[in-house]
Amino acid sequence: MVNLNTVEPRNGRDYYIALGLEGSANKLGVGVIKHPRLASMSGGDNSHNCEVEILSNIRDTYVTPPGEGFLPRDTARHHRNWVIRIIKQALEKAQIMDPRLDIDVICFTRGPGMGAPLHSVAIAARTCSLMWEVPLVGVNHCVGHIEMGREITKAKNPVVLYVSGGNTQVIAYSENRYRIFGETLDVAIGNCLDRFARTLKIPNAPSPGYNIEQLAKNCKNKDKLIELPYTVKGMDLSMSGILAYIDSLAKDLFRGNKKNKLIFDRETGEPKITVEDLCYSLQENLFAMLVEITERAMAHVNASQVLIVGGVGSNTRLQEMMGQMCKDRANGRVHATDERFCIDNGVMIAQAGLLQYRMGDYVKDLSETVVTQKFRTDEVYVSWRE
Amino acid sequence: MSQEIVDAVSQYLTPNVPIKLISQGAEAVVFTTPVHPYCPSNEITKDSKPVQYIIKYRSPKKYRHPVIDKQLTKHRTLSESRLLGKLYLIEGLHVPKLIATDAYNGYIWQEFLGEDLPNDCGFSNLKNYLWMNAKDPYNDVVKDTLFKVGEQIGLLHINDYCHGDLTSSNIVLVRDTNGTNWIPYLIDFGLGSQSNMVEDKGVDLYVLERAIISTHSSFSDKYNDWLIEGFSSVYKKQGKGGVQKLNEVLKRFADVRMRGRKRSMIG
Repeated sequence: MVNLNTVEPRNGRDYYIALGLEGSANKLGVGVIKHPRLASMSGGDNSHNCEVEILSNIRDTYVTPPGEGFLPRDTARHHRNWVIRIIKQALEKAQIMDPRLDIDVICFTRGPGMGAPLHSVAIAARTCSLMWEVPLVGVNHCVGHIEMGREITKAKNPVVLYVSGGNTQVIAYSENRYRIFGETLDVAIGNCLDRFARTLKIPNAPSPGYNIEQLAKNCKNKDKLIELPYTVKGMDLSMSGILAYIDSLAKDLFRGNKKNKLIFDRETGEPKITVEDLCYSLQENLFAMLVEITERAMAHVNASQVLIVGGVGSNTRLQEMMGQMCKDRANGRVHATDERFCIDNGVMIAQAGLLQYRMGDYVKDLSETVVTQKFRTDEVYVSWRE
Repeated sequence: MSQEIVDAVSQYLTPNVPIKLISQGAEAVVFTTPVHPYCPSNEITKDSKPVQYIIKYRSPKKYRHPVIDKQLTKHRTLSESRLLGKLYLIEGLHVPKLIATDAYNGYIWQEFLGEDLPNDCGFSNLKNYLWMNAKDPYNDVVKDTLFKVGEQIGLLHINDYCHGDLTSSNIVLVRDTNGTNWIPYLIDFGLGSQSNMVEDKGVDLYVLERAIISTHSSFSDKYNDWLIEGFSSVYKKQGKGGVQKLNEVLKRFADVRMRGRKRSMIG
């Protein structure tokens, strides 16, 4: 039996408040959430239905100029410069007067992510914890995404497709762990899209993937598709070859390399394809692969529900394709969230951290708060599920 | 499962071929039929039931762009049929017998394998079999079965073929003539290929290892050891050259595994 009420809320309250700090990549997120202490939570598998109330969800993204990615050093500096301001804003918005009394737990991302940014946010978390005398919980970033998605969509036991800038995984729960059924063998899907956006020199705001999505929507010639490699390997996939190939096409297009007969007409020398066509074909190809491996995992574990989480999960085309796939399966249903919860945020860290805290699992010694760049989803013992 | 697909198949096959839906995989829908396309179809099995055949249909996927979809359906059906044909000729390797194929429409007609496991444990694929044995996971029959599965994969690889989607659901077990031991058959070669690249073989093994870890997590270490034991035994029979090849494959397998482990980074 899972009892989520093992720890009493502090100061005799009948609800829990958690502060979540996220900074594993170029987004700095701070969120405050509230869980009512329900009698129904002391037994049974109810971790997807905590009746969470989101008191504040503030995010600041480090945006680089077109054609450039974010470097760990600069991202860490951005986080250091902004973290105090954002925490203050979040507390104010959540109307927390005295964090010493009103906060039960501070949750921060322990990994996976880029070392330097993770580290700067962890320092902020430790400082707050010591200053306010509030316990800490280190959270796995991927588990944060999954728990937030489950809470928002109320999906009880879905197959999870986790797609973001650094991760591409198909995950299903079994025996207290989120097990990885399929994943990328090389670069992540978000990374692939980001790097292609850099080649195209399109803006990084609000996000490179979003801009590619908009370009793809404007593609005039949707019947024709530029042929790209289709590299599904069982439940895994590989994307580096696709990226290298489409990059070379884009470069030939910009350079005006007339020798490339795929791009330029043999007689007139006019370009046959546009940047929009490239974006459209890339998306169609990559997402078809993602949906296929998800379907494979669903067939393998006999599941009917899918949950899409992670930054790329806010792409409407991906959600639409997943929906079509589910329609053809028995009782198939797709759950997805919008950009507030898909893209990295502090709330999701607070959600996963608070679940862990309510099971009585929090940091007893500061040496346990060391961040780690490599932290597999299946390393976390999920005590709050059956 | 939508009725649309079943209707489409019935229409294509005409009423002369009665079909019964048995499973919907990720890629294909599988039916059984008592009809053989060109032999007399009133054959009877040993236990006096009519002989069944499998019709595997790759339905068009609406989520995919039609161009990608057509190309994939044709490519996978055709390559699966070709592989089945070639693999059937390899001595010691067990694959279902191919009967007919229509690559453009995505149909494969093949021999029916397997049976239902006792105590409602489902169809006799390796996944259900291992689940059935979860109470006594390390008994000799399980070990023998997994060793034989490893041998089958070894035979496949040593002949320069790759499966591409090795999971415990893609291995069907058939009872041997005594009825005590199980003979594994490899099925579903949709992602298979002919390849002599060490990389492909390493990825193949990695995909299987991961499938075992995620589906049979509590006993996966032993299971994987037995599979690799069986896999290695095939290569070792080939003498020095075989051992050398085996080491190459296993080394690459370890490399791929490392690559996979590294894969949780930023996000």
